[in-house]
Formats: sequence, structure tokens, C-alpha cells
Amino acid sequence: MLESTIALIILSLGLGLAAWLAFVWAVKKGEFDDPEGPKYRMMNDDDDDR
Amino acid sequence: MIITGAGLGDYYRKRSWQDPGGMAEVFAARYDDKILARHVRHGAEGDELAFLVEGIRCATCVWLIEKIVADLAGVYQARANYGSHRVLVRYDPERLTPARIFAAVARLGYRPRVLTRDNLHRAAEAESRDLLLRFGTAFFLAMQLMGYSLALYAGYFQGISEFARDFMQVMAALVTTPVVFYSGWPFLLGAWRGWRSGVPNMDLLVALGVLAAYFYSLYATVAGGEVYFETAAMIVTLILLGRLFENSARRRAAAGVDRLLHLTPDTALRLEDGREVRVDSSDLRPGDRILVRPGERFPVDGGILAGESEVDEAVVSGESRPLKRGPGDPVVSGSLNLAGALTVRVAKSAAESFVARMADLVEEAQARKAPVQRLADRLAAGFVPLVLALSLATLIFWLWWGIGVGPALLTAIAVLVVACPCALGLATPTAVLVATGRAAGRGILYRGGDVLEASAKITHVAFDKTGTLTTGRPQVVALGTAPGGEGSAAPTDRLLALAAAVESGSSHPLAEAIVTAARERGVALDGAGAEQSAIKAVAGRGMVGQSPEGRIIVGSREFLARQGIIIPSVAGAGAGAVAKERTTTARASGARPGSAPGPDLPPLTEVHVAVDRRYVGVILLDDTLRPDAAALVRELERRGLQLLMLSGDNAGVAQRVAAEAGIGRVFSAIDPAGKKDIIEQLRSQGARVLMVGDGINDAPALAAAQVGCALAGGTDIAVGSAGLVLTRDRLGDLAPALALARRSLKIIRENLFWAFSYNLVTLPLAAAGYLAPVYAAAAMAASSILVVANSLRLSR
Repeated sequence: MLESTIALIILSLGLGLAAWLAFVWAVKKGEFDDPEGPKYRMMNDDDDDR
Repeated sequence: MIITGAGLGDYYRKRSWQDPGGMAEVFAARYDDKILARHVRHGAEGDELAFLVEGIRCATCVWLIEKIVADLAGVYQARANYGSHRVLVRYDPERLTPARIFAAVARLGYRPRVLTRDNLHRAAEAESRDLLLRFGTAFFLAMQLMGYSLALYAGYFQGISEFARDFMQVMAALVTTPVVFYSGWPFLLGAWRGWRSGVPNMDLLVALGVLAAYFYSLYATVAGGEVYFETAAMIVTLILLGRLFENSARRRAAAGVDRLLHLTPDTALRLEDGREVRVDSSDLRPGDRILVRPGERFPVDGGILAGESEVDEAVVSGESRPLKRGPGDPVVSGSLNLAGALTVRVAKSAAESFVARMADLVEEAQARKAPVQRLADRLAAGFVPLVLALSLATLIFWLWWGIGVGPALLTAIAVLVVACPCALGLATPTAVLVATGRAAGRGILYRGGDVLEASAKITHVAFDKTGTLTTGRPQVVALGTAPGGEGSAAPTDRLLALAAAVESGSSHPLAEAIVTAARERGVALDGAGAEQSAIKAVAGRGMVGQSPEGRIIVGSREFLARQGIIIPSVAGAGAGAVAKERTTTARASGARPGSAPGPDLPPLTEVHVAVDRRYVGVILLDDTLRPDAAALVRELERRGLQLLMLSGDNAGVAQRVAAEAGIGRVFSAIDPAGKKDIIEQLRSQGARVLMVGDGINDAPALAAAQVGCALAGGTDIAVGSAGLVLTRDRLGDLAPALALARRSLKIIRENLFWAFSYNLVTLPLAAAGYLAPVYAAAAMAASSILVVANSLRLSR
């Protein structure tokens, strides 16, 4: 097997891992808790209720 | 990969050591009888305890908890709600304590919790985060896996070096392990619970399929041969995706009930020896006196002792027309006090008042739906032992035949893998996904596949009246001018102009209707030239304004009479004219011709107008039919559906609206529980009912029907209890919604046929040992592609 293939596999694993870590961080931060809210919050003019 | 392989596998090992039975003591310590006593409701038929259970994964869990709790000595009734994970227990306080109920649930491995709004919210949030993490992890790893699997496929057909194949197989094994044991943990746990309680469930079947595919592939990696890691990973990922959708739909339904309870204020002003004391609404007892200020909602049901006001009872009737209320009149919790401060005598405690009873009715109806959902589990209960028996029989047969232990074992595992419901599992969700996506684009929101399926099989459609068939807002339907007026060109226009001039500053629904009517007729609003500063409103009665023409008085019959204005008997003189104008408006709003009102003219809202002391005329307002109602009724009847109307109003009003819309069967003067009873009665007669409603009073009926349908303009609880929501607030959208549901069901049936044929053909082949696993996988892929392609036809 080509060495470049192995390098590519490791690269893809690294990229996947980075994406997964970003996803876990976002979930933990509560980014997906309220998928309904933002579209209504956009209408709010007052900035204090965040 | 390294993190997931090591870290999450470790997580799995930790969890597996934990004996669920060991948690009982922890919870007994946290919740003793003294704390729990605060959450007990005392009733004539024993005490009631409502609590929240964490860890419910499937319908069987609900069934299991119900059964175990019901079996405790002293329990009269136990009911668990799949929608909200709440359990309601009615028991004999002499023989059982709340703490022992908690201990019994904890022993099963579930976590009971005191039911507070906060706890409920936090539990739901934690669960959906957990589910999302598991799905996300499975998804990322499955994408990695796809690369190795494709390489292995290509290698199988074109040749591959020994080293490359082994490397790819090991990589595949590494990424699949966390998918099975971290992402798939809920299934494994559910399967284990089902196994322990002796009730095989769908989880057990899924777990069996996943573990069989995984361990076989692991064996093949070591011993040489083809691997099927992607089968295991795919099953877990797809089923988790389904759970994710289901979870968000359930959360929305529960949020509706939650928001309904928020309608009543948490605190109330109690009058104690002339002092006002702020207390918890839940502490109010029948006989207490409370003060409700304008702009506040009533915390409990009661009767007015002193004060006069207007009350918005949209909670009860769905109609936003304020009603006059004075001493002796009853008030209902959740309704809004608009005008003046009221002293109210408490008739019922908060837990027994209208809003709480509504929430109970909705939850009860949702819980009653569960038996249908459990059907899949009952089927699994039969299917799992069958597959296990077949697999075992295969193993024994081939051992007896004498082909050796290894090949016999592989054949038996092939049976398990092939029986996995993965192809069957794809059949419904893909069609549902495509159909709901297409529906959403046309303003139709289906809350889940079960709703879509049920909508396609509907035989009866029940409509609520106010706010559903009608607009729910008063509109000017007729004008009557005093005989012998000034002789101006258009006396009705002058009437409207005068009224509108005074009413234009008000946000009262009647005032808005009059101003709208004046604008529609092109009446110049400033014609009468009323000075805004001089306008005075008298709460609940009318308004007075000053204009060049004189002093304009607009209001009820009594209001004008009290000002010394003599009202000629317009109703007698102008009845013919009024009736004539009514029919014209009715026709204009799309009703059938010839549906003139019956002999008993239903009561309309009257607004009388006078200038100085001269009577000008009367404006009649009423709730009118939605413009697309009659067309929808005709369309649904053409499709052979039985239509009926359920109304809380009296027979006269209900009959008239039904006649205008063209609906024959009318039930009038029924309360919310009565609506629910009618739906349930129809269902017991074998009818499949779709209920369309918008108000809080419709929520129990919406939940009781096979399909509840709400319009987007409806109340939170109605939208929450409904499985089908018309997001553009257009009643006419119901017809295309039902048409799409029927097409989807047809596609789903085709899909199930294909998927089932696949299992039917491959199962005997696998048992006979003819099915090399690679062909099984190819057949599986082909049948999956067929199913997905078929589902995509729905998007056209």
C-alpha cells in the first residue's frame, strides 16, 4: 500500500476528529438546545433578553 | 479515533459495572416522606402522587414501570405518560408511603424525581443533549467507516493486498467500536432491561442485530474473511436519527402542557382581615378571598364578590370577545381580567381549577395513545424468540450434519444478521422524511410518521367552531339605521363613520372590527372629526366622544338608555332588513346560497350609536366563517369523509355556522371534556377521527383524536397537543395535507413489501447456508436503494 494512502487516512481521521470535537463543544455549550427560538428572537429589538 | 477508542470504551466499562439495582438507597435517602408529602394531592379515592422518571427509553419501559408500581400493595391505579415521562399514582395512604413508591421505581434502574417545572425542563434538556451527542458521534464515525468499507468492497472485486485489507479491517473495527458501545448504549441498556424483565422488545432485536454483525466482523478480522462493520454502524446511526426526531416532537408536546400551566399566575393576593397578602397560588383554599387587578389572570376558579370588569375568557371559549362580569358571576382560572379590580371568592384550589384540569385531560389522552405505540414492541416480543429459535435450530442442524463448529456458528450468526430489521427499519422513516419535508414547504407540519400514517386512514373529521371554522374575531355583519334619519345620502356610512371616529383609538376587539369595516367601505375616518383628547371610555359599556356634529355616544343598549336616549325598536322594524343583509355577507364569505338563518335569529353583539340625544342606529357584529371553510367542507365530503362540528356555543349559533359551512352533524353546548368524550365514543365505534381545533378548550379532544390538527394562530396548548399543524393559518390547507398523507401511506406500504420480501427470501437462504454474507450485504444495499428511491417519488 502506498505511503501516501496511509498519510491521507491519518489526515482524514484528524479532520474528522476536529469536526467531532467542535460538535461536542457546541452541544455542551447548549448551541442545539433551542433550535426554534432564534428565528423568533431575531424579531426582538431589545438586546437585554439574551 | 484514539480518544473515542480508549476514552469512550472506558465509559462503557464503567457503566456496565454499575448495577442499576444499587441506586435504590441513594434515592430513598434524598426523598423521604416529609419532602414528598408536599407533592401529594389528597382525594376522596386515595392520595395522588405525580412524579417524573428519568431513563425511560421506550414504550415498554412505561409499561414496565406502570406494572411494577401497580403491583405494590395499596396502589389503586398507576399511569405513566410516554410523552412527558410523568407517572401518576393513586394509592391508599394507610398502606403505602410516597418514599416506598420511589424506592420501587429506583429498584428497576430508573431515577424517580419530584415533579417541578424546573426538574422537568432540565431532564428533557439533558436527555436531548445526550441523544444528540450519541448521534453526532455515530454520524462522524460512520462517515470515516464508509471510506474503509468502500476500499474493502473495491478490494473484494478487484483484488487487494493482504496487508491493505487487514489494515482497512482493523481501522473499520476501531471506528465501529464506539458507535456500537457508546452511541448504541441506549439500545443495549434497553435490551438488557427487556431481557431482565422477561419482555423482549424492539431494543433487544436491534441490539441482537448490531452485536451479531459486530462480533462476527470482529471474528472475521482476526480469522480472515469479509467484515460487515458498516451494517452495525448504519443500524445504530439511523435508529438514533429516528429517536432524535421523535424526541424533539415529544418535547414540543410536553412544552405545550407546560405553557398551559404557566397561564395561571404562581402567586395571588389573598385578603386577610382587610390586608393584602401575597401567597403561592397553590396555597389558596376554597373560601379564601383574593384580589385580582386589571391585566392579571385569575389563578383559580371562583365567583366574583365585589367589583365590575370585563373578562377575556378566550381560554374557555376560544373567542376573544370580552364579557361583562359582576358580583355573583363565576370566573375561570387562566382567563384575563381586563378592566377593573375584582374581589373573588375561591371556589377550587389551583390543582383542581380549570387550567390544571385541562392539562390533566391532555396528558390523560396522550397516555391513552400509548397502547398503539406499544404494538411494535408486542410484535418484537414474538419476533425475537422466533429469530433466536431459528438461529439456534440452524446451529444445531449444521452441527448434527457435521460441518464443524466454526462454519455452523457462522451460519447461525448469518441468520441473526439477515433477520435484523434494518431494511424494514428504513422503509417508513425515509418516506416520512421526504413527505414531511415536502409538506413543510406547503405550510403543513406533520409531527411524526405515526401522524402521517394515521392521517391517511381518517374516516371522520371533527371541527371546532369558534376560531376554526370561523375567524374567531367579531366582524361587522349588519347595520341598522334609525327610521327618519337626516336623509343624508348614505345613512349607514354616516353611522359607521361616527362610530369609527370614536372607536379608532381603542384596541377593544369590537372597536377594531368597526374601524376595519369603516375602512373597507371607504368611509372617511376623520369625517366626523372627533377630537381624540375628548374621547372617554367607560369600561365594559361604551365610549363617548366630542365632534363638530355633537356629542357622540357609542355603546351597549343599557349604556345609551342610562344617558336618557330612547332606542326605537330597531330589532322589530329592521329585522327583515338585518336578515337580508346577513345572507348577503354570508354568501360573500363563501357559504352556500340558501343557507339563510333559521327562524330564531341567534344573538349578535349590538353596538348602538347616538349623537347628542338623537339615536342614529345600531351596528351588529358577529363571528364570521373563514373564507375557505365551505370549500374545504365540500372537498372533504367529495372524498367520502364524515364531517361533524363540536361547539361549546348554544344550539342556535352552532346550527347557523354549521349550515353556512355545510356540515350536517352538529354537537352543541358541550364542554371540553364532552368534546373529548364524543371523539372517544366515535373511536370506540371504529371511526378514525381527525379533530381540528384551536383553543385551550379543544386540547383534550385534539389529544384524544387519532390526529389532532391545529392552525398556527391557535393557542400554545392546542398547537402542542396537535400532531398536524397548518402553519399558514389557512383552513384550506387541510385538503392537500390529507392527500399527501394518503400518497405517503401507499409508498410506505410498497417499501414495507419490498423490505419484507427481502427478509423472507434471505432468511431461509441464510439458514440453509447458501448465503455468503457478501451477497447478503449486496442484496441489503440494493433493497435499501430501492426503498429510498421509491420514497423520493413523494417529493415530486
